[in-house]
Amino acid sequence: MDERNLNELKPGEAAHVVALDARHPLRRRLLELGFVRGARVAVVRRAPMGDPVEVRVNGTDLALRAADLSGIRVRA
Amino acid sequence: MTALLPPAPPLLVPDEATCAATVEKLRAAREPRVVVVGNPNVGKTTLINAVAGTRLKVGNWSGVTIEKREARLTHGGRPVYLLDLPGAYSLSPHTPEELITRTALLDEAPDAVINVLDAGNLERNLYLTLQLLDFRVPLAVALNLVDEARDKGLTVDAAALSRALGVPVVETVASRGQGTGALLDRALRGATLGIGVRYPEAIEATVDDLMARMEQVPTLPPHAHRYLALALLEGDPSVRGRLAATGHTALLDAADAHLAALDTQGVDALIEIAEARYARAGDLARVAVPQAEARRTLSERLDRLALHPWLGIPLFLALVLLVFRLTFSVASPFVDLIGGPLQDTLSGWAAAALAWFPLGRDLVVGAIIPGVGTVLSFLPTLLVLYLAMSFLEDSGYMARAAFLMDRAMRGIGLDGRAFIPLILGFGCNVPAVYATRTLERRSDRVLVSMILPFMSCSARLPVYVVFAAALFPRSGSWLVWALYVLGMAVAFAFGLLLRRTSLPAEGGGVLLELPPYRFPAWKVLWKHAWRRTASFARRARTTVLATVAVVWLLLALPAVAGGKFATVAPQDSLFGRVSEAMSPIFAPLGFGNWQATGALVPGFVAKEVVVGTLGQIYLGEQAAAPAPVGLLAGAQQALGATWEAVKTSVAALPTVVALPHLGADTTADAKTPLAAALARAFTPASALSYLVFVLLYTPCIATVGALAQEHGRRTAWVTVAYQLAIAWAAAFLVYQIAARLL
Repeated sequence: MDERNLNELKPGEAAHVVALDARHPLRRRLLELGFVRGARVAVVRRAPMGDPVEVRVNGTDLALRAADLSGIRVRA
Repeated sequence: MTALLPPAPPLLVPDEATCAATVEKLRAAREPRVVVVGNPNVGKTTLINAVAGTRLKVGNWSGVTIEKREARLTHGGRPVYLLDLPGAYSLSPHTPEELITRTALLDEAPDAVINVLDAGNLERNLYLTLQLLDFRVPLAVALNLVDEARDKGLTVDAAALSRALGVPVVETVASRGQGTGALLDRALRGATLGIGVRYPEAIEATVDDLMARMEQVPTLPPHAHRYLALALLEGDPSVRGRLAATGHTALLDAADAHLAALDTQGVDALIEIAEARYARAGDLARVAVPQAEARRTLSERLDRLALHPWLGIPLFLALVLLVFRLTFSVASPFVDLIGGPLQDTLSGWAAAALAWFPLGRDLVVGAIIPGVGTVLSFLPTLLVLYLAMSFLEDSGYMARAAFLMDRAMRGIGLDGRAFIPLILGFGCNVPAVYATRTLERRSDRVLVSMILPFMSCSARLPVYVVFAAALFPRSGSWLVWALYVLGMAVAFAFGLLLRRTSLPAEGGGVLLELPPYRFPAWKVLWKHAWRRTASFARRARTTVLATVAVVWLLLALPAVAGGKFATVAPQDSLFGRVSEAMSPIFAPLGFGNWQATGALVPGFVAKEVVVGTLGQIYLGEQAAAPAPVGLLAGAQQALGATWEAVKTSVAALPTVVALPHLGADTTADAKTPLAAALARAFTPASALSYLVFVLLYTPCIATVGALAQEHGRRTAWVTVAYQLAIAWAAAFLVYQIAARLL
């Protein structure tokens, strides 16, 4: 299956986490919030000025910047 | 109930000393000690309010502005000490709140921990529960917000969760006080160690080895051994730093050796631990919530509007405007009441009572009553403002504001969260400076603290209100709104300048939770707003009273030969002369007279004093001899005026939402004596310039103190100098333009 960065998803799309970039500045926090292998993540919406992006993981809505989403690899 | 484990010796390093006092207190408590832990936004504050009621004591954790709630109460005939720990997503601290919670759990084993969960969001909440089970402390779980979860279409099975976790689980609806008694029962009688996560074998073997080493170190509290071992494997920097500072280097070396060995086996401990916890959390959530029927929630519908691509930001700005309008319409009748009739009555009584002692009468009637009275008259404004801000915070909207504004804040290398201290700055700059601690990067904290004072704090509002009533009665709300916007614009520009010059942005990610919307509990809101307003009132009592008394003394001291104490004309007093000497600096700004200049000086002590001093200068010289009033006549007069104020305030409520004409200021009809005096002394142009100067000039002494404490004296004084220069330049521009247009 084709892997993508989380920020390539359109609002309303969902996918499963494959891996976090080893140098991701939020790696530790993202793991704690549930961005673990296999977790389902959905992009809910983008903020009015295009960024940040609202992402749903584990029933929690989080705001992340597009730049930080690019370190999260996902697959459908 | 006795502690399961012997008391542990302290394990403290200086930067975590903030918790020391609390830990000491916890240790000293004779009664069973119960701590409450939970994620942010799970209704923990509401729960603790419901459990403790009037016994709840709210203070601050020493050194930080994070609220600390504790209570001593009797439950089932036995005393209990209840301590609420700040909201935390995890026990690997990323925020000051989490650091406090983690440190408190680490340093002293409580008799029981109550873990509050959001029943509608179990999987994420259970992550913290599973970390708590790595501590050897008895646990009881509150499954809160079960009503909300059921509304979402979830089936919640507390008994099944209890069996799977091995700890008591009690369903609660904190907002209605349901289940709170049973919860405390179970925490005191049934709390157990529970069934923790079983990590992969490679990890468990390492944990066992590290725990065996810790057995040899008496300074490490036994209840925390397993937690510490896991934190070391996760590479938790705060635990590493703390162990290093307390001389446990052998342990760190052992952990590093283990990590290197795991690495060669291709095991990333951080990921393995997180995955094991989430796998277990997922299993538990499926047990507790067997049927999850997806239903569109109210929060999602509200967010469609609140975060709408092009309605979101206008809506946010409109909401801020609405808050200020509400403040004006509802509070201003009471403002007029305190500043007018009540103060007159009091002055009349004082004049009658002190007729035999003219000097004392002059001090009381001429300085103390008008000075403090004017400041106190703004308490209604503050109360309404704080209520509105607490409502926005507790309802979950503030996080949306941060989400909406993130992109704009990025212009100065900040994230949306920096918007929150800035918004707090509208209330008071001092707590806002401390609130910058929630920002992760130092350069961000310094930058936000330096631009914060441009946010128009509530102490400046009184000055605007008085001038608006005096000179711009028809467009008061618009004027105030414009001043707030100007403050924000200057803050932004100054921030940009700082980024370009001395504080370049650091890298790092941004993460923000958007919690579900909740209707805040009125009781909690009221307590919150009342506490903040009361702290302002305390300042008014001490700082402001002292300043006003000193100014009165300076006004009373003659600076000319032959002048008599207390009867000297103001312009011939010491105060008049000093202000006179300074006033040419302000001539290009349109207010180069000694009265206006004089009022600015004590404003450095606290901005609200500007109004107090203006009142003293302009009214003190006119109202030298108030008519003495009898006790009964005075009381009648005051009561009648109070009734009128209540009626006006209630009648003003519907006009708040009526958009077209914003100047529904009741102050226009009943000008206070001060407003009338200002209308004579200022022109519209010079008043505008004065307001701009008051908005932008030096932060008050309390803010300077907070800045110095957080970032050093140099930063504090640089901020003062910059602000004075910017204020002068901006007021100059405004006056020169306005004088030609108005």
